[in-house]
Amino acid sequence: MRNVLPVLTVLLVIVGIWYAAAIWMNSAWTIDRADGPLTFSEIVSDTMSQDRPRLPAPHQVWAEFQKTVFDTKVTSKRSLVFHGWITLSSTLAGFALGTVTGILMAVGIVYSRPVSMSLMPWAIISQTIPIVALAPMIIVVLASLGVDGRAVPKAIISAYLCYFPVLVGMVKGLKSPDAMQLDLMKTWSATGWQSFWRLRFPSSVPYLFTSLKVGIAAALVGTIVGELPTGAVRGLGARILIGDQFGNPMMIWSALIAAAVLAGVLVTVVSVMQTVAMKRMGFAR
Amino acid sequence: MELVILAFVVWAAGTFVAVQIARSPGHDAMPARIAVPVIFGIMVLAMWELLVTGLNVSQVILPAPSVIASTFARSTSTLWGDFLQTALKGGVSGYLIGCSAAVAAALAIDRVPFLQRGLLPIGNFVAALPIVGIAPILVGWFGFDWQSKAAVVVVMVFFPMLVNTVQGLADTTAMQRDLMKTYSAGYWQSLLKLRLPAAMPFIFNGLKISTTLALIGAIVAEYFGSPTRGMGFRISTEVGRLGLDMVWAEITVAAIAGSVFYGLVALIERGVTFWHPSQRS
Amino acid sequence: MKKLLIGALALGMGTGAAQAADEVTLQLKWVTQAQFAGYYVALEKGFYEEEDLDVTIKPGGPDIAPEQVIAGGGADVITTWMAAALAARERGLPLVNIAQPFKSGGLQLTCLKESGVESPEDFPGHTLGVWFFGNEYPFYAWMAKLGVPTEGGEDGVEVLKQAFNVDPLLNKQADCISVMTYNEYGQVLDAGISPDELVTFNYLEEGVGMMEDGLYVLEENLDDPEFADKMVRFVRASMKGWKYAEENPEEAAEIVVDSDETGAQTLDHQIYMMGEVAKLTAGSDGALDPADFDQTVATLLSAVSPDNPAITEEPSEGAWTHAITDEALQ
Repeated sequence: MRNVLPVLTVLLVIVGIWYAAAIWMNSAWTIDRADGPLTFSEIVSDTMSQDRPRLPAPHQVWAEFQKTVFDTKVTSKRSLVFHGWITLSSTLAGFALGTVTGILMAVGIVYSRPVSMSLMPWAIISQTIPIVALAPMIIVVLASLGVDGRAVPKAIISAYLCYFPVLVGMVKGLKSPDAMQLDLMKTWSATGWQSFWRLRFPSSVPYLFTSLKVGIAAALVGTIVGELPTGAVRGLGARILIGDQFGNPMMIWSALIAAAVLAGVLVTVVSVMQTVAMKRMGFAR
Repeated sequence: MELVILAFVVWAAGTFVAVQIARSPGHDAMPARIAVPVIFGIMVLAMWELLVTGLNVSQVILPAPSVIASTFARSTSTLWGDFLQTALKGGVSGYLIGCSAAVAAALAIDRVPFLQRGLLPIGNFVAALPIVGIAPILVGWFGFDWQSKAAVVVVMVFFPMLVNTVQGLADTTAMQRDLMKTYSAGYWQSLLKLRLPAAMPFIFNGLKISTTLALIGAIVAEYFGSPTRGMGFRISTEVGRLGLDMVWAEITVAAIAGSVFYGLVALIERGVTFWHPSQRS
Repeated sequence: MKKLLIGALALGMGTGAAQAADEVTLQLKWVTQAQFAGYYVALEKGFYEEEDLDVTIKPGGPDIAPEQVIAGGGADVITTWMAAALAARERGLPLVNIAQPFKSGGLQLTCLKESGVESPEDFPGHTLGVWFFGNEYPFYAWMAKLGVPTEGGEDGVEVLKQAFNVDPLLNKQADCISVMTYNEYGQVLDAGISPDELVTFNYLEEGVGMMEDGLYVLEENLDDPEFADKMVRFVRASMKGWKYAEENPEEAAEIVVDSDETGAQTLDHQIYMMGEVAKLTAGSDGALDPADFDQTVATLLSAVSPDNPAITEEPSEGAWTHAITDEALQ
């Protein structure tokens, strides 16, 4: 709770900067369109209410957000809640797929030398491939395999971005017990299975949760990237795209805010899970 | 059909050789470390080539590696120009600005607990945001050339970097800090001698994550407007022209550039954080 | 009792309804908007159903190449521009034009007067926004015809890859941008710029016009009589949809807005778009005029751009057919 005041202060400063920037960035259009010289207050009032501002003022974004979130039925396709749900479901599917893939690969890498030697460099390279370039191809290839619709391709793109942080975190975590601890397990003549469940896996849990927080955010980025340029017709990414195309900045910004809220909720959920798990496992200090 | 069977023979043979090398006594030596992933890569490429030819996959869906390679060889000057535009001008400049700004910001708020408490939750929050969504907006603000791409990269790398650095600076135990106090070390001394070195694994973690973010950000931003060069421009344009071989050549460039970039950072990390358990094998 | 009644009804309606309708998937070139009103109207008004077709309309997007989708088997028929279709044909994807609902094209280059561009001779030294992704061919043909280099410099033009909106013109990042009569031009006007502040070049009037939205299928599929029959019915119903949309623009716009799953389209803009699109489809009964085809090919070949050639030689035999429209329009 002691963070409330500082956070609110910083937020207020951000909103202040935002308003100042809106006035500054939108004024060029106002001046350009005006017939004669304008007073400062005329300029300010115009920059606050343009239809097509370069930077919409916070209250304009809030009005659009309110309209599409609270004043629209959630089942309507004009509702941001509806589009948020589409994005959320793909994100969760991708997150689940990516986490499982990441953990399995990490276990393989830590335990099998051939897997580690051949896979690890390629896992890193896989992340340097721009996923946007692959997104349309994934859709086309899946369509030719008979998988239709956008949900599966989006989940795959999302998993592609999400598995890597999980993999890296887990490899680090599974390797985190030092030689002394591993030797201790040996002196207790623990089997490989036992030293995995009793030592390696528990020591990797803090690393796992840290990477899950990155992973869920990456999964959301993946879903939005999957929606953005690939002609997805629903979801927050599609709203950003259409808002951009039809010159409706308020729509872009409100979709961004919705994505931010979604990200916040998801990361918070993972954090709470982390706190609970760490407490029960005795990590909490 | 024979080609498809051959593909699986290649798969089996590749796996066998890789396992043999990995189990051989010299597996820790440099040649083996390079040979195994290379064999794995060649195996995948060979299977790709054989399957695409064997199953008659259209070249506009998935071109064969040999076609991609010849396109790559034919268009090196175009690819080089795109690389300069996107990876160096957009990606690297944004990466340097973003990362150094984030480290500077982390050090600045380190001394002011009020700011730290105010900014950290917000930084954490923003780090999780799908920043790519602002790419169209930033292109509108900063114009079509590389500046807008660098801006996207700056915003993308700033917050993960900030959060990692702040976390790293806090990663010392009370005992270590007390020890510094008993040495009567001042703020700067304890920062330079204890807390910054202790933060290095975290900082490098952020730096490594940011390398891939930088390249992706620079490429995505080009989808929303660009001059007629750049990797993102080429990829999006060539998909429309069914020049999938060129798309894959560009993807290859991205993969090479990204790997070299990541490799450089990892190499520096090895030099700086040699003491950390994760660097020992 | 209820079951009996339904059974009797089904019998009364004839056997056709009992059989499963033939499935057709149409891949659009772009997002759901009045540019494709005819297909959405045919779907919603039941024209496809009357032809015993079960049609799925897939909207496109900035990164979806319809040509690639049809090559991957994700669609039976696509809408695309002729230059892009011919380019795909030359690259080994045998697309065939089976119908041409758009008689003329709506592609324009619109410039701010204050930038000093009044005629094509003024282009050198200016920055022009161009759409890529298969839409750049008319532009490069035009520049090749004018002899203007596209690499920038004093006597050349600086080309920008324009995104999907008109912001570059409003923000003065480009002197001229590409617009469609039925969409972006309206957006420029909506933004508060009046027509007399603009200089607009229509590609058709500049002699580099090319056929826009046509219906294309894969050549090998046409040999299958069953597929050909499906296409005959599809084209017939689609053209019925187009003519209905032309006569009832407001209803058509409403159908489009209702079909748009992003929920982002506005009725006003779609009504405007429908009005403009109707001007382009008005002259077509669906059959491609061979003269139009020849004109597009001649334009492309007369000005083969060194950087961005759509085609470099005459398209191979069979790039278009009247087989479908002849039967559909009897």
